[in-house]
Amino acid sequence: MFKFIKQYTETMHAAAIYPMFSLLVFFIFFIVLLYFVKKMDKSTVTKLSNIPLDLDETTTNGN
Amino acid sequence: MQVEKFYYDNRIVKNFAYATILWGVVGMLVGLWVSLQLVFPALNITQYGSFGRLRPLHTNAVIFAFVGNGIFMGVYYSLQRLCKARMFSDTLSKIHFWGWQLIIVAAAITLPLGITTSKEYAELEWPIDIAIAVIWIVFGWNMFGTILKRREKHLYVAIWFYIATLVTITVLHVVNSFELPVSLFKSYSWYAGVQDALVQWWYGHNAVAFFLTTPYLGLMYYFMPKAANRPVYSYRLSIIHFWSLIFLYIWAGPHHLLYTALPNWAQSLGVVFSVMLIFPSWGGMINGLLTLRGAWDKVRDDVILKFMVVAVTAYGMATFEGPMLSLKNISAVSHYTDWIVAHVHVGALGWNGMLTFGILYWLIPRLFSTSLYSKKLANQHFWLGTLGIIFYAVPMYWAGFTQSSMWKQFTEAGQLKYTFLETVTYMKPFYAMRSLGGTLYLLGTCLMVYNIYKTVKSGSLVANEAAEAAPLQIENVQHAGEHWHRWIERKPVQMMVISLIVILIGGIAEMIPTFLVKSNVPTISSVKPYTPLELQGRDIYVREGCYLCHSQMIRPFRSETERYGEYSKAGEFVYDHPFQWGSKRTGPDLAREGAGNLKKTDGWHFRHFREPSSMSEGSIMPAYPFLLEQDLDISSTEAKIRAMQTLGVPYEKGYDKLAVADLVAQSQAIADNLKNDSIRISPKKEVIALIAYMQRMGTDIAKPITSQNK
Repeated sequence: MFKFIKQYTETMHAAAIYPMFSLLVFFIFFIVLLYFVKKMDKSTVTKLSNIPLDLDETTTNGN
Repeated sequence: MQVEKFYYDNRIVKNFAYATILWGVVGMLVGLWVSLQLVFPALNITQYGSFGRLRPLHTNAVIFAFVGNGIFMGVYYSLQRLCKARMFSDTLSKIHFWGWQLIIVAAAITLPLGITTSKEYAELEWPIDIAIAVIWIVFGWNMFGTILKRREKHLYVAIWFYIATLVTITVLHVVNSFELPVSLFKSYSWYAGVQDALVQWWYGHNAVAFFLTTPYLGLMYYFMPKAANRPVYSYRLSIIHFWSLIFLYIWAGPHHLLYTALPNWAQSLGVVFSVMLIFPSWGGMINGLLTLRGAWDKVRDDVILKFMVVAVTAYGMATFEGPMLSLKNISAVSHYTDWIVAHVHVGALGWNGMLTFGILYWLIPRLFSTSLYSKKLANQHFWLGTLGIIFYAVPMYWAGFTQSSMWKQFTEAGQLKYTFLETVTYMKPFYAMRSLGGTLYLLGTCLMVYNIYKTVKSGSLVANEAAEAAPLQIENVQHAGEHWHRWIERKPVQMMVISLIVILIGGIAEMIPTFLVKSNVPTISSVKPYTPLELQGRDIYVREGCYLCHSQMIRPFRSETERYGEYSKAGEFVYDHPFQWGSKRTGPDLAREGAGNLKKTDGWHFRHFREPSSMSEGSIMPAYPFLLEQDLDISSTEAKIRAMQTLGVPYEKGYDKLAVADLVAQSQAIADNLKNDSIRISPKKEVIALIAYMQRMGTDIAKPITSQNK
């Protein structure tokens, strides 16, 4: 399968680029994720975590 | 704003709850039965009840019927409440429910009939695969419909896990089910050899991740706070848990193929990501357990919390063990042994089972507006279940470690110390103890069935539970400075797309190079396509589920090359649709069964299939007398050859027309050979084809092995 693109990639000698790409994507993804999670507003976090408990009625009416 | 009155659909939740209980008992019963077959091979009754056909029934029943219905039970209950809306469509709910049960019934019929693709946890044949896809889409449609008409602005973390489950299972199922139908009940995998193995274990591992784990984590994030009546320990941690888990899991598949013929870089990538997986997994476990902070005294009295604590602890143990098993040095010992069986059962019995039981005990009294019939019985169930897990896991760990050590032991003279059969007979007491563990666990489940029956009897179903909430205001504009993640939390479609991208990155980065870079699968000129008779024999091998106990993948260790011959090369499998590497060695590896010192006579194979213990005393392999009775269906030969040609196997053009003649000639030769061994049998019997396949294995690059000890 993939015959139509195979001819272009068979000669690809830089297969090593894939793991390198993977590592970079992973690294950047997590730095960005950690940064934003750290920045989250505390009251929002409390409100969100109470959704299953139905304690915070303000969450029901879309502010 | 005006509040709206609406009703939660509890009937569908009840249906799924009943289904998970029913199939749970069935799945466990079959599991207990197949475990007993390993102790008492005489329990392999008729071809429909042989181990190779029932074991997939056990795994499919537990994964897709027990856990599957458990997922839907939990999702249909929690999603409605988290969205403050009834399910999108009652009709879709019903189609989903009955469709899924029909698929399970179809599996329960086809698997004992030997209709299988031989891809573990994806054994069902193509018509059922299509049905699964359709029903899964119905589920997704219903779920998204509900999310879109919700009255709660934010999507709680449990819903993200449900969305990721939906998206990823769709991708996994579609990619792994690429197969070419030959007839209504037979297909060949589109991929061959190494590529088939990579796709299969990418699927297999992520079926564990996205069917047995992510939806249950969603359930944990909903039901654990409910049962403990306090919010989750850290919502921030749950965000990190979610994204990192789905991001990392998808890469980890190749750890099932360490030291195999899979390219080394793909193995290493799998190892790295598997090790990293411990962080999100333990983040989730800690988040679950710490939800009970300051409420641990409740755990003493509340049986539901007990179940949940053991479930989350088992999750923690299994996800610590998983990364460890992914290290190459540990995999070298654990792979192909019962250690893996212990590992998956800590997950299945501990994490999935105990969480399902906890949720059922919490849910059923609420659905029926009553209280639990007997807390005492539930407590007894808890202890039977917990002891059952211990009695199951400990002997299996012991067995795995022991057997692996025995496989690898050499005498001072440099010979293998134990024959394979000696290592098998040594396992029997462990297998018996494992059955005891399984029995305890099943007994506990039976107590639950009774307890729930009495609970249901004492109440009446609240089929439509009244609730009210204000409708959601439409907000299309993002507030300036608003947090990006809140934007995603409110937009389910964005959530789905981003989840999809995140999981695709891993799959694509691993698979594309394996498929496209020619050097990954060096060709071996002496490797030739199977003869028509061998191909038919191979299909019988698949039908009988031989791959469940026999690997066809010799790892590059001295202990394996001494026992089985030259280690396996990627190029040897280029015509194997599907691959048959296996994942467990209850019996010996067969990759070079027809070559070198392992080669036996046709007569040996014939007698061995008729009664294995007559040739190998103490063997626990099932007998296959029916292969001596049944005629081979040669009418399918032409179609099979054509299918193989379509898949790229280089049979000469027009060979399909000549195939049957070749098949008949080869059958006759084997029958004549058997006659010289005083065995008179018609060349038309199935066993002839299977013998042909056995004798073919490993002959492409035959090299004598050095040791006499096999």
